[in-house]
Amino acid sequence: MRSRLRQLGLFFFGFFLLFPLCAHALLSMELTRGVSGAIPIAVAPFVQQGATPPTAISAVVGNDLKNSGRFTVYSDAGVLPTQAPAWYHSNLGADAVVKGKVDNLGDGHYRVSFSLSDTYQHDKRAMLAKTYDNVSAASLRMLAHHISDLVYQQLTGVRGVFSTHLAYIVVERPANAPARYSLQVSDEDGYNPHALLVSPDPIMSPSWSPDGRRIAYVSFEHQRAAIYVQDVVTGRRHLVSAFPGINGAPAFSPDGRQLALVLSKQTGAPNIYLLNLASGHLRQLTHDWSINTEPAFSPEGKSIMFTSNRAGSPQVYQLNLASGAISRVTYSGNYNARPSFTHDGKHIVVLNQTSGYFNIGILNLDTGAFRVLTASSKTDNASPSVAPNGSMVLYGTVHDNRNMLAMVSTDGGIELLLPIASGDVQDPAWSPWKS
Amino acid sequence: MNLKTVVKTLFIFGTMTVLAACTTKHGINGANGVNGAAGGSGAQTSGLSEGQNFGDGSGGMGTGSGQGNLLAQRTYHFAFDRSDVQESDRPAVLANADYLVAHPNVKIIIEGNTDPRGSREYNIALGERRAQAVLALMETRGVNRDQVRLVSYGDERPAVPNGYTEDDYQQDRRAVIVPQQMG
Repeated sequence: MRSRLRQLGLFFFGFFLLFPLCAHALLSMELTRGVSGAIPIAVAPFVQQGATPPTAISAVVGNDLKNSGRFTVYSDAGVLPTQAPAWYHSNLGADAVVKGKVDNLGDGHYRVSFSLSDTYQHDKRAMLAKTYDNVSAASLRMLAHHISDLVYQQLTGVRGVFSTHLAYIVVERPANAPARYSLQVSDEDGYNPHALLVSPDPIMSPSWSPDGRRIAYVSFEHQRAAIYVQDVVTGRRHLVSAFPGINGAPAFSPDGRQLALVLSKQTGAPNIYLLNLASGHLRQLTHDWSINTEPAFSPEGKSIMFTSNRAGSPQVYQLNLASGAISRVTYSGNYNARPSFTHDGKHIVVLNQTSGYFNIGILNLDTGAFRVLTASSKTDNASPSVAPNGSMVLYGTVHDNRNMLAMVSTDGGIELLLPIASGDVQDPAWSPWKS
Repeated sequence: MNLKTVVKTLFIFGTMTVLAACTTKHGINGANGVNGAAGGSGAQTSGLSEGQNFGDGSGGMGTGSGQGNLLAQRTYHFAFDRSDVQESDRPAVLANADYLVAHPNVKIIIEGNTDPRGSREYNIALGERRAQAVLALMETRGVNRDQVRLVSYGDERPAVPNGYTEDDYQQDRRAVIVPQQMG
């Protein structure tokens, strides 16, 4: 058994190696709704010393800030001078300006500096100024996202998520050929997609470890559902659950040591279990004949939200891990499922059907206030996944008769579509901040 | 055999498997008439050629042409949010059950599927309930549980990919009997 699994692993690893890595973006980003009263900011093209670097840092920063929906960005390289006095940007309407410099050190390395200043403060002191030495060409894009994070945090008070990653499933269905499923990970803006697994069988439910280094997922290789945990960097994976029947909905505990998952053992009654990843010990958490699935840990790890149809239609319940007590949490509408907590533990985001379409909703756990975030959507949505700073929800939607990803802010004010050129993209998971 | 050889061999094997799926896919889909573009993949590879034998074998068993037709009906549709086998499908399910009882070496997979609406993992649970319902009906004829394996694909393998009409959803909500290799 073990050697067979090893062979399988090699088999898929072989596929992975032979799959050409895409150099650019699989997904693009279109801001479809931004906040009114967004912060006006100018991002000047960075001054270049020496040969042109492979990544235009100012363009990446400008895009990041624009796509956050919280900024109105003046960044057109053809219009903005690289160096201009503050009044120039102020006259444009910008409250703040990002300026920077890229020195080519030769040997494919760069020194990058940037500053963030207020355009109507006359004391010339930058709010933020940093220099990064010896940055490799390949890291320039990552550095640009890091700069976006710092600017975002300085001006909004919230830590940015531009350096995080997205995991999702791409399905291609070529004519007269089998479908091809792949588990992909890309930067938060859709760039640098990498396939972690390519398979002729479905792949679903990717779930990040809290340190952002591993992904648990369900794969149906050889017509069996099984849960694997794969190292994102090395591509090595381990089979962690392959019971008869459903092996589904993996979710890491906040300490990364346990995996909540769903097993049915072919009874038609899926229940939630806790798997200790080191010892392999399995503890059953729910014990009934209804559907119990989609476990999600609270940020402090003391309780689990999950979906159950114990009262007839699917609703979200909370399980206290210490006492085992279960209480119902959602009451708005006839379908609430796939819960996930915001980072502060005060809200859960759910898939909700009140009438007609399936929407993304958010429930305030303190007040009980429920709000549909995708109310203007004229299609079915699924698979909400919350950004680590709680600002946005990534989810699956249907656009032009294909599955695509979209984002909506947790206040409902900002919406983005992440189109893919061909095929379907679905079942997304937003990574945590890497630790 | 060093690692390189193993990987190379497995890749070639994998490619062959995929190709095999391409060429034999038509057979099984022809048998049940649905599934079209959704099925196909390597997921059905190992059982495909035997699948045809399974259907052909029924004739050989002398179970009668009428029952042979019933045997070929291996896709059963379900109402929205329901997992009970429809009355019109019961004879076909029972015919397949009888065949399994008469052929204890034959093994099948019952696949459960849903339409794409709603939550993916919840749909996995719904799909298993549909497969389970078919199995429960088969067990009333004394089918040995060891001959049957269930797998739910939820909405991961729609019968009509990128179909978003009520008719498409109706095709998606199904359980399918997929014959496997002889035991």
